[in-house]
Amino acid sequence: MVRSALNRILGMLIVMALVVTIVFVIVRVTPGDPAAVMLGPDATAADIESLRERLGLNASIPQQFVTYVGGILRGDFGQSIFLNMPVTEALMQRAEPTFFLTIFSLLIATVIALPVGVLSAYWRGSIFDQAATTLAMFAASIPSFWLGLILMQFFAVKLGWFDTSGYGGPGASFAERMHHLVLPAVTLGLISSALITRFTRASMLDVLNDDYVRTARSKGMSEWRVVVKHALKNALIPILTVVGLTAALLISGAIVTETVFGLPGVGSLIVSAVLRRDYPLIQGALLVVAGLYVLVNFVIDMLYLIVDPRVRY
Amino acid sequence: MKRTALAVATTAVALLSLNGMAYAQTKGGIIDVATIGEPPTLDPMASTADLVGIVTQHIFETLYTFDAKWGATPLLAAELPTISADGMTVTIPLRTGVKFHDGNVMTAADVVASLERWTKIATRGKQAAEVITGITATDDATVTITLSKPYAPLVALLSLNNAAAIIIPAANAAQDPLEAFIGTGPYKLQERVPDQYIQLVRFDDYQSLGGEANGYGGARNQYLDEIRFVPVPDPNTRIGAAMAGQYDYVDQLPVESFQQISDGATDPVVLAPFGWPVFMMNTQEGLNSDIRVRKAIQAALAPEDMMLAAFGSEDFFSIDAAWYPEGFSWHSEVGTEAYKPTGDMETAKALLAEAGYDGKPLRILTSRQYEFHYKMALVAQAYLEAVGFKVQMDVVEWATLTTNRADPALWDIYITHSPFLPEPSLMGIMSDTSPGWWATDAKHAAVEAFNAESDPAKRAELFVDVQKVIYDEVPGYKVGNFNALAAQSPELQGVTPAPWPYFWNAYLSSQ
Repeated sequence: MVRSALNRILGMLIVMALVVTIVFVIVRVTPGDPAAVMLGPDATAADIESLRERLGLNASIPQQFVTYVGGILRGDFGQSIFLNMPVTEALMQRAEPTFFLTIFSLLIATVIALPVGVLSAYWRGSIFDQAATTLAMFAASIPSFWLGLILMQFFAVKLGWFDTSGYGGPGASFAERMHHLVLPAVTLGLISSALITRFTRASMLDVLNDDYVRTARSKGMSEWRVVVKHALKNALIPILTVVGLTAALLISGAIVTETVFGLPGVGSLIVSAVLRRDYPLIQGALLVVAGLYVLVNFVIDMLYLIVDPRVRY
Repeated sequence: MKRTALAVATTAVALLSLNGMAYAQTKGGIIDVATIGEPPTLDPMASTADLVGIVTQHIFETLYTFDAKWGATPLLAAELPTISADGMTVTIPLRTGVKFHDGNVMTAADVVASLERWTKIATRGKQAAEVITGITATDDATVTITLSKPYAPLVALLSLNNAAAIIIPAANAAQDPLEAFIGTGPYKLQERVPDQYIQLVRFDDYQSLGGEANGYGGARNQYLDEIRFVPVPDPNTRIGAAMAGQYDYVDQLPVESFQQISDGATDPVVLAPFGWPVFMMNTQEGLNSDIRVRKAIQAALAPEDMMLAAFGSEDFFSIDAAWYPEGFSWHSEVGTEAYKPTGDMETAKALLAEAGYDGKPLRILTSRQYEFHYKMALVAQAYLEAVGFKVQMDVVEWATLTTNRADPALWDIYITHSPFLPEPSLMGIMSDTSPGWWATDAKHAAVEAFNAESDPAKRAELFVDVQKVIYDEVPGYKVGNFNALAAQSPELQGVTPAPWPYFWNAYLSSQ
């Protein structure tokens, strides 16, 4: 068990080292210059060059890489070029909306997906099942920006129940900030519910035909108890895996949704950092997202190790 | 197109702005202004980006600014400068008793330190620095700038709000990047949460000029308690926000959303004309280093179709050969005969044959950051191919374009646009080093004569010569004039449509 865990931790470190390197190289070979973006359209080449010098962008790429990795090892992810603050501080500022957006989206997705998936499996082949499967396919195919704009048009523009964008002005209360998350959370939740619905249905179908379910029924147990207490309980393990992975996906999936709804979260921070070529911020943000993926996978692996000892090697 | 609705919207807003004084104006209220994004910096010296100027012009002030007719008018200066007979000494009297946001009174020493910072940091300051030999405080309320040669654009450069010659406390002038955002403007920075809001609050010790408001000049009344700039980068979201009435002012909306905005909770604001799209030619390297090829392109392009494709309706653009539209003192149609609204294919073909064009691809560098650039490029491609060019479209993202345009080996034409800048010397094409690298004897003769003349009427005449050389040598192709669309709440009064919208003098009728 301990050895398996250590192996996985080593694997995580290797993956993160690769992520650091790949992101650094991609960012540096992508055309575009933060100095040119910052100085504006009428800046001269000489101005751009002198700002590049000040930002340390004229050093060789290997030299910049060594400096960057050295910084990471000391816990310093660098300074955002445009926000003029440490990358970690910028990320912390953006963590709240993304965190709550992920939680709310996941809640919405799970609340929809679990009962629909269970009932679809239970009434396999029925009209309900066919309708749910079709809707799940439809939801999985909807681009989040489109759904977001549709919800915005109806609930914000037409009905005026929500704001179209933003995260509250100065002094906004927690409730006001959360109010801004409703439409983006519904957007992401609806789309994510498709995957969880399909997994729940498949997982339930597997267990509903198992002997112990038949045994439970033959003992005269009510259908409700059979489905919920016996079948669902056992089907939950793979479902939880998918929910965990969906959480990680949501963090990166928030990129588009946060941009559409003007939410100052990690997702929209990545978009603006890329558009501005804010190298340290792009690197730091992608590292955090990749780190979350790796961490979620690690936790799932550990859960497997605990639940199913056969996985240990 | 709903021409009547457009006319009513434009006129109503204009009348409200002009007759704003007719309404009861009371202090109070907060407005939210939706902008196209987060400004890259709050140091207006450090960037030429319009968004930086729009936000920071409320915090910082310059010695001069522009009046409603785009003439220079004093702001922190007491009056327009005195220029010596030889044009080499510019004496600027300062207003006294003007306070910074930190409570200190502005002195000539602050002005000298600020202008010195400007000449070292700001793109436009560096442009001026080429002729500035000294900046000194003659006394507590006078600053003298000495020049190596007469330089008429100086006052305009001192007036502009981007790469701006802002006046800050001398103690902060060494900061680069700027860390203390202390100015003399009507509003001071309260809080900035990047990508969420920039909160400005009234500066109670602000000393407005007396009299009436006059463009960016004249009285600056502080009716509003707060102005909050909120980034809303997605244009579709800005449209939705304008329709819902979430913001008091929504900047830079796609013109095609005019009808949607008209049907929504905020009113459309049309600024006509706003600016001009331009195809910049690489005169240094490649196909366009041959003037005959550039002339062939000039003849081939059909601006009418290009503008129609880009802006959809004639309500939002006009076909105009003059580099400045009517209403500006620089407007003239002289020398613009080569501009053909529907193109002149025969002439283009003849010029191309004369140039001995060998079929090498003509590389058009553009982006979809501004969709109208891309649409114009597509139409241009069709016309250029029709006269025999082989066209290669290099469609990149805007940040990449700004890098690639600096490399003469990478492009033949790049597409950009600009609002009508109040002073022609500020146009990129006037500088030898701006991408395109247009530097010929004829240009230098025309531009130098224009820059050396300080009499406004004579300068207008001399600009005609500059325009003629532009059409003769085709360093760029101005496609036409286009309008800009914004939206504002019916309760928001006193806002004059402007390329860089400002909200001093604005007030809420509900207060």
